[in-house]
Amino acid sequence: MFKGLSLLFILLLSPTAHAENWPAEQWSTGPTLTGPALEALEAYAFPTRDDSTRKGIRTDALLVIRDGQLIYERYAGPTTADTPHLTWSISKSLMAAVLGVAYGEGLFKLEDPASKFYPALQKHPAITLADLLHWASGLDWQEDYEYAPLKSSVVAMLYTRGHHDMAAFTADHAEYAKPGEAFRYSSGDSNLLAAALKNIVGPARYPDYPWNALFEPLGIRHAVWETDATGTFVASSYAYLTARDLARVGLLMARDGRWGEWQLLPKDWVAFNRQPFDRYKAHQDEAVPGGQWWLNRAADGAARPWPDAPADTFAALGHWGQAMYVIPSERLVIVRYGDDRDGSYRHNELLKLAHQAFAGAVQP
Amino acid sequence: MNRRRFVRRRPFSTLGLLLLIAVLGWIWQERVALWAFPDIISAYTAKEYCSCRYVMNNDTQYCQGYVKQWLPFSAFVDDPAGKRVMVSGMGRSNSAQWIGEHQGCRLNP
Repeated sequence: MFKGLSLLFILLLSPTAHAENWPAEQWSTGPTLTGPALEALEAYAFPTRDDSTRKGIRTDALLVIRDGQLIYERYAGPTTADTPHLTWSISKSLMAAVLGVAYGEGLFKLEDPASKFYPALQKHPAITLADLLHWASGLDWQEDYEYAPLKSSVVAMLYTRGHHDMAAFTADHAEYAKPGEAFRYSSGDSNLLAAALKNIVGPARYPDYPWNALFEPLGIRHAVWETDATGTFVASSYAYLTARDLARVGLLMARDGRWGEWQLLPKDWVAFNRQPFDRYKAHQDEAVPGGQWWLNRAADGAARPWPDAPADTFAALGHWGQAMYVIPSERLVIVRYGDDRDGSYRHNELLKLAHQAFAGAVQP
Repeated sequence: MNRRRFVRRRPFSTLGLLLLIAVLGWIWQERVALWAFPDIISAYTAKEYCSCRYVMNNDTQYCQGYVKQWLPFSAFVDDPAGKRVMVSGMGRSNSAQWIGEHQGCRLNP
């Protein structure tokens, strides 16, 4: 007993106990949690799963990092710790991180016109890279997936008229507003960023750039990023990562773009990602847009979108319930993959239950 | 006036004619989207099945359920040796191909 206590005392006093944890080849694991709060979270995230009707909440993966250590993970359905899961629109936030590395190389400025790097945008010369990052190109884009297939720009882009060259398909849209003046969520805007990156870093570096710039420095070994026929990354939709690997990007963002001693993303880049877009109108979307990330901030007179989560929570969100929540104040990163087809999943509910299960035990 | 007499004597024909003109006008306006529309089901199924199977490495049974939509498809060929998926539906065919470890799957032109 005395031996155990003294060991604990040594651990608490030793400098390594207060050093930051970073994942090496694998995540180190923190203390395993149990109790009613965790049971409530699991009851919400993992109800009995019905893959034949595809109804209800169908979580594929839930993983929690606290203080740089893995403290919880559970998988369901066909997904395992080794599955590079489709992230859908989380890809947009990943492309923002890739762009952040190029920004750190000094290859572009936020106020640069996008046409400087993507000449097909010369018909819309006023669109800047910042406008695209804010989903504020002003292009007349229709984002609906399933409910308006005829009018959906995104279905046409991914599967029919646009799939050869998604950025060119986007650039052919008319303008409905002046660039930078209105928010309208657009997968097209994100793919214009992917096309601009080609000339930002140069066509020779481009095909491997996401791996060289972001994935490999973070120790991510199995990322897939699909392209269109012109080789442009489908930044809107088609990056695939394991839950453990995606959480590495979350930790990078939670620590203001720093990975160990290395400031991989400039601090002002992450600050831009986390700054609410000031032209956003209340309730235009499910959270407040920053620079290709989603923020839990009060905006335009409306309350925070996820009232039960801290105000500094920000997230990368994708179709069918994909989510990565980053909560710097609680030193938490939560990855949730799913295959929700009916919209019954609620970010706020998961964040509330996760807060009760994981944030309470954080030491001051 | 002749036109007024026609409308009075044939109110339903008139209405039908107006509707037909409106529908034809709408079809003309949406001709590009309408022409592309039948491709959605086969292209979606081929691409997302290919990625489900060869990028995410899920099993065939799960991937079949994963891509199921309210519209059925008429032909489905999964070639595991070539990692190629071909789907037909609504009179159109589309195929997707696994390209490589980094690039995953892509719809063929």
